[in-house]
Amino acid sequence: MTLVAGLRAAAYGVPFQPVGGVHGSELAALNGWRKIPDPYGSGKEVYVIPAISPDIAVIHANEVDEHGNARVLGSPFWDHPLTRAARRVLVTAERLVSSQALAAQPELTLVPGFMVEAAAVVPRGAWPGSMHPLYEVDYPAVEAYLRDEDGALEAHLASAPETRA
Amino acid sequence: MSDWTPFSHIVVNLARQIRPGEIAFSGVNSTLAMLACLLAKRAYDFHFTYLNVAGGVEPEPRKVPHSSSDPALVAGSPAIFGNEDFYDLCARGRLDLVFLGCAQVDGAGRTNVSVIGDWRNPKVRLPGGGGAAVMMPTAKRVVTWRTEHSTRTLVEKLDFVTAAGNLQTVVTPIAVLQKREGRLALESRNPQVTLDEIIRQTGFRFDASAAQPTAPITPRERAALETLDPQGEFAAGVRA
Repeated sequence: MTLVAGLRAAAYGVPFQPVGGVHGSELAALNGWRKIPDPYGSGKEVYVIPAISPDIAVIHANEVDEHGNARVLGSPFWDHPLTRAARRVLVTAERLVSSQALAAQPELTLVPGFMVEAAAVVPRGAWPGSMHPLYEVDYPAVEAYLRDEDGALEAHLASAPETRA
Repeated sequence: MSDWTPFSHIVVNLARQIRPGEIAFSGVNSTLAMLACLLAKRAYDFHFTYLNVAGGVEPEPRKVPHSSSDPALVAGSPAIFGNEDFYDLCARGRLDLVFLGCAQVDGAGRTNVSVIGDWRNPKVRLPGGGGAAVMMPTAKRVVTWRTEHSTRTLVEKLDFVTAAGNLQTVVTPIAVLQKREGRLALESRNPQVTLDEIIRQTGFRFDASAAQPTAPITPRERAALETLDPQGEFAAGVRA
């Protein structure tokens, strides 16, 4: 959540973001996070997290149109603050759709095309992760690449969907 | 005669921490807590609101996923209440019960999810706290668990303090500890072990004056656990 606070600071265009909690954690000293008193006099002290502005955010979407408007179905996890905090946004998507199709339900578009620098259509691009509602986590594939043996990672990369164009 | 298994003692006693009307949350890498929330839904008559890290609100998963962050935990959910939403809910004091995992816990109920050994020269670099540092001080109650009850998991001194605050309960295969006056105290023990065994396997001193044997598993709790883990796959992941 401190990571999101940093992303939010960047997205809001401010140098830091107050965040609830953190009190008593050694992560504060380790990361140099500062605590400031409420300037409005509640007496509370609040940790403030410095802005985190990624150079590039890459997100995987369900649908994208030719302008880069991208629709994400299901839980968006961190896609919203991430795309607002980053300087550049790249999108991969399961399929290309018409702009009309997105305009029919614009509230499902997570990032508008004017913010997107480039997009690629990559079916099953979230593999071995899941993509709601199209496919689930491929647990055997995850277990295979985690094996501590020579070639496990190479074999995993060689079987990725994007290698089978 | 008691027939607790390490697995059932953890899952059922985690579920027993949920109170009527509460908003309860299970996070990432928290399969046993996820099972506890699903068990409580099936075994207890009261209502509570179950939220999870996948963004599910009162989900009705068609099957129980291996991962507690699997999107299967959004199935049947009438809303998506994602990462930003549930963290904010916690920060403003509206999450009643949060299940947070840990590698080590100390007698004051602080947790380490960051590192074993020195931060700059670690023996083991752990995955990190996720939102623990934010949730532990802001949730009304936090419950943690360990599948291993030993002096290296329940420790006198943490290698690193990832999170501190409102930890209330620790559940293990052999014990349930509750915080009283700022210190963890033994509330109940698995009747298969003696108090001396628990003292020997715990790195910090604790008050055991009010300890009771853990109340037996009820038929409904047992039935719910069997529907959640019919093949015993989850139970196999928790060794004695």
